[in-house]
Amino acid sequence: MKRITFNNPTAQKIYDDYFKRVRRCVSILPESDQLEMIMELNSHIYEATQGAAPANEVEVLVNTIENLGMPEEVLAPAVADKKVKQATRSFNPKHIFQALYLNIFNGVGYVLFALVYLLIISFGFLILFKLIYPAHTGFFTGSGHVFFFGFMAEIPVGVKEQLGNWFFITDITLMAVLYFLNTLLFRLLKGK
Amino acid sequence: MYYICAMNSEFVQNWFSQVKKGTLSYIILIILDEKEYYGYELVQEIKTHTTLEVAEGTLYPLLNRLKTEGIVDAKWIEQESGIPRKYYTLSKDGKATLTEMKKIWSALETAIQKLQK
Repeated sequence: MKRITFNNPTAQKIYDDYFKRVRRCVSILPESDQLEMIMELNSHIYEATQGAAPANEVEVLVNTIENLGMPEEVLAPAVADKKVKQATRSFNPKHIFQALYLNIFNGVGYVLFALVYLLIISFGFLILFKLIYPAHTGFFTGSGHVFFFGFMAEIPVGVKEQLGNWFFITDITLMAVLYFLNTLLFRLLKGK
Repeated sequence: MYYICAMNSEFVQNWFSQVKKGTLSYIILIILDEKEYYGYELVQEIKTHTTLEVAEGTLYPLLNRLKTEGIVDAKWIEQESGIPRKYYTLSKDGKATLTEMKKIWSALETAIQKLQK
């Protein structure tokens, strides 16, 4: 992207500082999306300030930037939207987490998505717990009404772990099913 | 006998901001129906024809959303200055969308005018 050059050094500094903020706001996005958003704002600023006399450059530039709004506020919805698209395309957990973080306040759907994701992570931890505390982790039943899947610090009398090493397969299968369902939910939310 | 009417300005302001939000896409489509515009030019056109005070930065995310929806097409065109302009035009789907929006707007306008009589 071609940088705009101003005759007035103060204007140049304001411009450079503004684009530092813009770059920080969009840095979470893929490079092509970053470039697109930066180029669009750069073009707007160029069109608004071209032809301004050096004595007025600062005033014109400050007005233009003010009219555009704070990049942190104005760009946030677009960045969140583009991040969701990237996450849906890539299925990469890192991108999904970032999209989730950016969209967490967008509605109950995303909160539900976050909770299920947390559940998936918890199931991951259960595998570690099963390796460290095999007798206390698993699927417990007993006394006719006790059903518990997870880690039990103190096992009540009459309650027994039923799965043994099958726990690993069951746990991984549950994680996979929840991950699949959550991705479907994510796609539904994205399509809203 | 005198009546003192206190307008609830906060309510009116909130209502106007919702109206603005809802009509901005419609205004953009009407403007783009004439010819193609680049971002800054489009902002100026909105300012010329309406009294809406639009935060200019919010216009670009909106244009991008319209592009994602397939309502507008966009292309970068190189300029002598070395700083390209992104031109927006109404797509074929956009033209059909605008026709439908015009119908809805017209029906709404008629209904409100009837109610206001």
